[in-house]
Amino acid sequence: MRLKVNGQPVEAQEGSLLLDVVDVPTLCHHPHTETQGLCRLCLVEVDGRLLPACATPAREGMEVWTDTDALRTLRKTLLEWLALTTDLSLAPELQDLLASYGADPGRWGALTVRKGSAPIRDNPFFLRDYAKCVNCRRCVDACGDGIMGVYALTLENRGLLAHPTTPLDRPLPETPCVFCGNCVQVCPTGALRPLGLEV
Amino acid sequence: MRTTCPYCGVGCQVEPTVKEGRIVQVLAPDIPPNHGALCVKGRFGLDFPFSEKRLLYPLVRESRREPFRRVSWEEALDFVASRLLAVLRRRGPEALAVFPSAKTTNEEVYLAQKLARVLLGTNHVDHCSRLCHSSSTAALSRSLGGASMTNPIEDIWKTDLFLVVGSNTTETHPVIGAMIKKRVRQGARLIVVDPRYTGMAEAATLWLRPHPGTDLFLFNAMARYILEEGLWDQGYVEERTEGFAEWRASVEGYTLEEAERITGVKRENIALAARLYATTERAGAYWAMGLTQHTKGTATVQALVNLALLTGKVGKEGAGLNPLRGQNNVQGAGDMGGLPDVFPGYLRVADQGARRRFEGLWGVGLNPQPGLRMTEVFQAIPQVEAIYLIGEDPVTSEPYQDHLKAKLEALPFLVVQDILENETTPFAHVVLPAASFLEKEGTFTNTDRRVQRVRQILEPPGEARPDWWIIQELGKRLAQALGRPWTLYLGPEAIWEEVRQAIPEMLGGITYPRLEREGVRWPCPEEDHPGEAVLFQEGFNTPSGKARFIPVDFTPPAETPSPEYPLVLSTGRVLYHWHGGTLSRNSQLKEAYPELKVEVNPKDAERLGIQDGEIIQVVSRRGRIRARAWVTERTPEGVVYAPFHFAEAPANRLTLDALDPISRIPEYKVSAVRVEKLD
Repeated sequence: MRLKVNGQPVEAQEGSLLLDVVDVPTLCHHPHTETQGLCRLCLVEVDGRLLPACATPAREGMEVWTDTDALRTLRKTLLEWLALTTDLSLAPELQDLLASYGADPGRWGALTVRKGSAPIRDNPFFLRDYAKCVNCRRCVDACGDGIMGVYALTLENRGLLAHPTTPLDRPLPETPCVFCGNCVQVCPTGALRPLGLEV
Repeated sequence: MRTTCPYCGVGCQVEPTVKEGRIVQVLAPDIPPNHGALCVKGRFGLDFPFSEKRLLYPLVRESRREPFRRVSWEEALDFVASRLLAVLRRRGPEALAVFPSAKTTNEEVYLAQKLARVLLGTNHVDHCSRLCHSSSTAALSRSLGGASMTNPIEDIWKTDLFLVVGSNTTETHPVIGAMIKKRVRQGARLIVVDPRYTGMAEAATLWLRPHPGTDLFLFNAMARYILEEGLWDQGYVEERTEGFAEWRASVEGYTLEEAERITGVKRENIALAARLYATTERAGAYWAMGLTQHTKGTATVQALVNLALLTGKVGKEGAGLNPLRGQNNVQGAGDMGGLPDVFPGYLRVADQGARRRFEGLWGVGLNPQPGLRMTEVFQAIPQVEAIYLIGEDPVTSEPYQDHLKAKLEALPFLVVQDILENETTPFAHVVLPAASFLEKEGTFTNTDRRVQRVRQILEPPGEARPDWWIIQELGKRLAQALGRPWTLYLGPEAIWEEVRQAIPEMLGGITYPRLEREGVRWPCPEEDHPGEAVLFQEGFNTPSGKARFIPVDFTPPAETPSPEYPLVLSTGRVLYHWHGGTLSRNSQLKEAYPELKVEVNPKDAERLGIQDGEIIQVVSRRGRIRARAWVTERTPEGVVYAPFHFAEAPANRLTLDALDPISRIPEYKVSAVRVEKLD
């Protein structure tokens, strides 16, 4: 099938996502966790509408714009807000993205409340440091439907207060967790990390 | 750097990061078979090579009364060679046995069996598969002419019904377990046959809970029902199988009513399972030790093979007969001829053509007499006078521990080659320190026949050396003394080149450069051959090209409960540990699961007045162990379950050494015990 991306004709295979066809940043999407449509970094413009490329199937004749001024501003703003609320010190890829979009979190003024508290060490293998969490949900999906089918992680609270943790915030050894660490592998920000990396 | 996980047969690809002499993180690349996923053992349990229990120097002693002396490699190897030669000259080749290890590489197993056959002239060669899937390989070889999974792991995504029998997949092959569960969430059906309420049973569409050791009756009853209802694949049976008529008559007595009485599974559920399996085109059977570790293990697997043939499930995508292999290289250990009756490539030592091939390659006459199986070798002590044991802890893994220890005490010469001190090292005359998987090059072959690279990331500690080097050096000394040919190889790749030359029809197309990117499956005869995914699509590897039905009859276990020993003990593994515990209990994993817990059903616990977490004793006719009780519905009433990882409370002190007449596997899944309060 044929699409137009930024005015140029592009060939796409049947069944592909827009993300497979266009070059846009993404944070939450991961092929094995099947997480999609959360971080909004991959938004593209199709026929005047904003759509997440990771959750939109490519269709014949689509006209897709990926890099308009409005989209760049949107991505820059999203990144700035992430940086304002979250400790991104162990997320080199996100830092690169901030730099390439010329993000300046400081322009929003200082924020009085940042995310998270002290890292949680409740098991022999890895820690959970939610001050570094960007709510991408990959860990929840890796533990649940995406890979393991174990469901030891979930989102607590609603809206702006939503964040991943265990059901009822129980320590991990009291959940069905099997300590496969697949959540650690898919975490893009070091919010989940092996104790081996802590010196 | 990428390498292959050393725990189970899934063969996950791992990328450990080593910093300052320890593993700080393990990631998984997005390639087959695991595509980025791991279990706790691969992710957090790879640090055993750094254990304080590492064997670092060769140790030697004249007799068990003396302490070990640290010696040079030169002295240790000379000593082993002279003692083996003395036994060989005095008693002949039948007094010597060599046990290669399914934890070591293909190249190392190949070399160990070559040493046994070419230099010692013995076919007493065997490995730990004897204790796990020997029943499966026996049944599959007889019926299909193959001893492996018929279908690849990726076929899980094409399977519409899984028949999982006696496999605690989410704990013992966790990455495959997660794949099957995900396929079930996508809409496939899952029928689980297991006395225990495992993670698979929890995920099942239909869970059948037979009494331990009655699966054979269940399968025969399913087959009879399928015949009666006309649900069988007549075209397939006529075209692709033989022995049907005789077999058909043999299942006549296996009615649903009788099956319900014997197995304890409701007849309508047996019928439903049979109907679903027979009528789903893409239905794959998966199994493990729950089927094989019985005195009728081979017959039980055969009953499942018969069922699959009756319904036309073999040689098709998304279906097949799939024994989930246990060790990282247990498939490879068989492929390389680490068995008493076959050379590499499963070519029979009794077959003249096969002998000619290897006599030509190795330049020496070969013993035509199949050797003793591992379980038989231990029983044949002291007629067997010397054992060269590589990477195995029989004191923890063999049944009836006290008896085995007495046998080892009576063994005149034992060489133990291992990476870590274990329960068997105290019985050794010579201890040879080997390099771990992180410290050498080579290949492992996983459960779906995929040959994958093992890469050196670290230098071996102390004076430890790769197993291939040790075997080669020992071989050099034996060859010199005996005047027999022995090749000196530059390294594992050179050994692999000889393997390719030995069995080109199976491995000829697999080269080290090809394995750089990802593993390749056998059979792979040519370098441009992609490797066969689904076996037997055209024909079977039998003389007629057809698969054979073989009638099998139900027999009770060797030891059934009695008033004195009223409970059944079943043994197995848990997610966090590996077999005798030598690896996992010397890794980070020990913190997650520090001690033995014996599963006791709440009804039995109530009757005996046992609380959850209480210390109890489990007693059989052969011994007693002390353990914490875990009162849980996971185990059925009348059955206690004990993992065998714990040397201080060894489940195998309780098990009996009754063996399957064909595979010679011990009956780990059924022994009679009683549970006592400690008081």
